Amino acid sequence: MPHDVIMPALGMAQDTGHIVAWHKNPGDAVTEGDVLFEVETDKATMEVEAQTTGFLTDVAAEAGTDVPVGQVIALISDTPEGSGGMPDLHDTPEEIVASPEPSAIAGQQVIMPALGMAQDTGLIVAWHKAPGDAVAASDILFEVETDKSTMEVEAGHDGFIAALLAEAGEEAPVGEAIAVISADKPEAPVQLSRQAQSAASGSAAPSKAAPKPVAAPPPEKPTRQEKPAVVSDTGRILASPKARRLALEQGLDLTRLVKAGHPQPYHVSDLDVLKSLPDDTPTAVQAAAARHLVAELPTEGFTAFTAWAAETAGLNDSSALLAGLAAASLDLATATVAVEAFGETRIYTVPAGPFGAIAEADPEARPDLQVRDLRCSRITTVQLGAEACPVLSVAVSGAGLRLTLECAAPQLSASEAVTLLSNFAGRMEQPLRHLL
Amino acid sequence: MREITLSQAVNEALAEEMRRDETVFIIGEDVAEAGTPFKVLSGLVEEFGTGRVVDTPIAEPGFMGLAVGAAMTGTRPVVDLMFGDFIYLVMDQLCNQAAKTHYMSGGKLNVPLVLRTNLGATRRSAAQHSQSLHALVAHIPGLKVALPSSAYEAKGLMKTAIRDNNPVVIFEDKLMYNDKAPVPEEEFLIPFGEANIKREGSDITLIGTSSMVQVCEAAADILEKEGISAEVIDPRTIVPLDEEALLKSAKKTSRVIVVDEGHQSYGITGEIAGRINEKAFYHLDAPVLRMGAMDVPVPFTPALEDLTVPTPETVAENARRLMSGEMIHAA
Repeated sequence: MPHDVIMPALGMAQDTGHIVAWHKNPGDAVTEGDVLFEVETDKATMEVEAQTTGFLTDVAAEAGTDVPVGQVIALISDTPEGSGGMPDLHDTPEEIVASPEPSAIAGQQVIMPALGMAQDTGLIVAWHKAPGDAVAASDILFEVETDKSTMEVEAGHDGFIAALLAEAGEEAPVGEAIAVISADKPEAPVQLSRQAQSAASGSAAPSKAAPKPVAAPPPEKPTRQEKPAVVSDTGRILASPKARRLALEQGLDLTRLVKAGHPQPYHVSDLDVLKSLPDDTPTAVQAAAARHLVAELPTEGFTAFTAWAAETAGLNDSSALLAGLAAASLDLATATVAVEAFGETRIYTVPAGPFGAIAEADPEARPDLQVRDLRCSRITTVQLGAEACPVLSVAVSGAGLRLTLECAAPQLSASEAVTLLSNFAGRMEQPLRHLL
Repeated sequence: MREITLSQAVNEALAEEMRRDETVFIIGEDVAEAGTPFKVLSGLVEEFGTGRVVDTPIAEPGFMGLAVGAAMTGTRPVVDLMFGDFIYLVMDQLCNQAAKTHYMSGGKLNVPLVLRTNLGATRRSAAQHSQSLHALVAHIPGLKVALPSSAYEAKGLMKTAIRDNNPVVIFEDKLMYNDKAPVPEEEFLIPFGEANIKREGSDITLIGTSSMVQVCEAAADILEKEGISAEVIDPRTIVPLDEEALLKSAKKTSRVIVVDEGHQSYGITGEIAGRINEKAFYHLDAPVLRMGAMDVPVPFTPALEDLTVPTPETVAENARRLMSGEMIHAA
């Protein structure tokens, strides 16, 4: 396997090296470490050693020439005869296609050389060879103009012009292939212009980026789709800070998205999905069909009962007692009751059994029943419409109380509503009878 | 408007300021006849002479120290550091002396010094000549840090830097010296701490610094074809930072990617992302993403080197992920 001898980069800002002299001739045996050639840069002249042992062959750049950094200038082969031509050493695609990509044309690529440190492009003034022409490595292939000067550039390879990838008068970036030299005479040599190529590939590509051609028409804004459902193992709903804030501000309940099976994490766009979910809270239509029942108690026993409970049983939370009496009026083994009093809502879990077992529940829990304690307000009559659960309002009426039950039709049937309010009225009138 | 290269823009800025103020001078390696390896300073020594365009030996700590002293005593040096990577050599002069002198002298002394240097990989210059080290100095109170993203910024920021009474470090991207941009003929300055909204958008904000501004703009082009409207913002100076402009955009689009060519860890991207997270949290619909250079020494091998820096394709891909509502990191 022959070893490429390349022009090394000896300085930071060096693009080409000037070969001062070869210390070996083609066919000479070389040993790893032997000085192969001398190269001059803007800083210094250096000797370059052979990186392997073999025979120097296929010398492509003579003493006195400037060669771009990284270009292969000779081979170190296993035999003095070399490989019979450098083009064969490199990957050669199989066929020349009719309208080829430059990279698909078989042969050695000739690149736009860097002639100055501060040069990005070169203007091709003229081609000295035409597609299909035979060319020797030392033949002048083209003239290039930079901001400094116009220079003739040698072909660098023996063979035939398989393709010219830019037209005279066009600028090409340094390092870009502008011609291809093939070992064999090409059947269909190509002349392309850079303009045509860039038009074909959509747009000129910046060096750090080659955007792929994009198919027209511009597609719609991407919609969220088949995103993997993610669920936090802590049970917390995964939502962006902005989605949470907007949900809070707009009174939207993210748990409804969870129940609807909408995949997390939630973003602002998911709030639209939330808003479009069928509403499970009472709507205006349901409110119109809401139940509204009122019970009047000429006397009440609840005030005395709270004092008695505090004194004899140490039950100081009158809201808990209210929750207990309300829950007992429901036909449930364990009820969750929200009690709204003095502008504050507390939620209780009420098991069947003694009032001492009533405990405050998770504030996020969904109540089965809500009790609105208005005894300390001047409100006497309530008609607020149905809410997420049945609501019992307790207001003062003369020496007694006015109890109002409001609920949506689906929450309680008519007879259930009547039973609930009757039970509750009885318990508020004579709480001790409930205990007995 | 005429277009000039970033090199020419820097050259013009220096020449104009040197004509305006005779205390301005340039000091560094290969700044005079050689005009720097990137030919940025070509012609200046002919106009201003070797007394004001001063070639030094290869001794960065020495000439940096000279410049700090010269700045304290009434001149305005522009120190040319050939590669940003050499900033390690001048850290004491820059961070312990220049940055702190005004503070420690109780305001009696100023160090009106500009350190001109560069950043940027993909020039096949290997690990010791390809670093983007602006985060190192942005960390030090007392230093201002400018990152021009085009010839226009390079000129306007350089002139502002020279007139600043405190030390300023300017990092030019060494791959952009030949990039042209429209630059007015008439004099102009670009104030520090004023971000430039390069492109308005509504879906996602791409904050880029230096050459990453161009990467973000190319990413925005890709995204536009897919129906995603990206806003591209160039802070122009990272110290001081135009936080207000960045937060305003973050609140507008709810999604942000910060792109910078310094190493990602403990870098500029993390600082900017952190501020947006703190101050625009309730407006974010997705995590703020950082895109810096890979946390590896910059490889010499071109195929590997190209993988270490953000590209329009990788920025666009991350933008698509944020837009799709994908869970970026596990729950």
